[in-house]
Amino acid sequence: ILHWQPNQGSEMNSQVLEEISQCVETLNGVKEGSCKTSLTFYKPNLQDQSAVMDFPRDFMGISMPELPNKYFLIIRGQRIVLEADSSILVIMEKLQSYKPKAILNFEGELYKLGDFQIRVIKVVPHQTETLKGIMVEIDYLPISSVENSKQIMKEFIDIWKEVVSKKSLAGEFTHAETNYAEYGLGDNYTSQHTAVQYAAAALTQLIQSSQLRS
Amino acid sequence: MLEELSHVLNCVDNTCISCVMQLSVADMECVVQGIIETQYIILTFLQLIMIIWTFSIGTVASEVRLLCDLEQSEPSWSVRHVGGAMRGAGAEQVSVLVRSMVESKTSKNALRLFYALGYKFDHELLRVGFSFNFYRGAQITVTVASINKMLKLHATDEAVPVTLGIQMVEVIAPATSENYTEVATAMSSFCEYLAP
Repeated sequence: ILHWQPNQGSEMNSQVLEEISQCVETLNGVKEGSCKTSLTFYKPNLQDQSAVMDFPRDFMGISMPELPNKYFLIIRGQRIVLEADSSILVIMEKLQSYKPKAILNFEGELYKLGDFQIRVIKVVPHQTETLKGIMVEIDYLPISSVENSKQIMKEFIDIWKEVVSKKSLAGEFTHAETNYAEYGLGDNYTSQHTAVQYAAAALTQLIQSSQLRS
Repeated sequence: MLEELSHVLNCVDNTCISCVMQLSVADMECVVQGIIETQYIILTFLQLIMIIWTFSIGTVASEVRLLCDLEQSEPSWSVRHVGGAMRGAGAEQVSVLVRSMVESKTSKNALRLFYALGYKFDHELLRVGFSFNFYRGAQITVTVASINKMLKLHATDEAVPVTLGIQMVEVIAPATSENYTEVATAMSSFCEYLAP
């Protein structure tokens, strides 16, 4: 996942999103559909708010449209990811120990470029139209090994950044490597890996939003 | 008593019996529990071993169970919430316990996750036994198992029976709020075979 980092003082707006989508089409990307991933931040349901620091503040849940019967729970600080049946949401509702605090929607347009799949994603708080962030999610379909696909992914990302730079937009795409081993995940890429990336993306988004506000 | 149970199950159409324990994801379940004494166990079906943890969290009274099925080559985990028993006029009309039950299969990090969320370990039990699954008016699961406690945390090799020589017989069937009376009737009918 690549994040759009706007230059200091510049705005995140739909014009930038449109330009980025055009970059994909420049590379002969074919639009295949839409997708929406939702990420929920949870907070502990406490009577005594002073105890909030005793509980994790980065507990998140992720639902993915391609896996409607699954739900992913992540505690990022402790590098824990859990894949569960979607009935876990019913259990959480019954337990009442954690409640949703905020929801981010990652609404994407899916493009196919040869063996690559690109999602151009706008990050939007739930039930709003406010564009908070832009991301691009890149998949290389033939190889499911994280290690074996690193080189080709790096080459594609370099091409992508070059295409975007020609648009002279006020910003750039940044990319941070994820250490999946810290989460106990193997080299074979799975939906748990994707969940970990989205959790990282959401926290990056939060930091970015607070920096823009200040 | 166990001989009678085996006889009953052999009489049921064998094509309806599965050898795998099904942990139902259902809104409700009907439960009958009983205790039998046995001298030995008939190894007719797949052996099942399960550990159950109960957690509670201090902020809000909530209890959750984590189940680990050790019978498979790779332990499989699930999280289960069991609600209180149904009360009122509806409950008095049925001869079985009706309660809500929700279960979710999970990957292996369930224990770490709940610890990290602040849940406190309450107790764990090791169930060793067998499970039968068949249809007889309702989809019924019968579990016959010894309940064992572990003297050291998670030490399954050092488990000892809570009550020596006594097995727990549990008959469970998933139900919804619309059909629980029919399911309860089917269970009661089957359970008459278990009466001494």
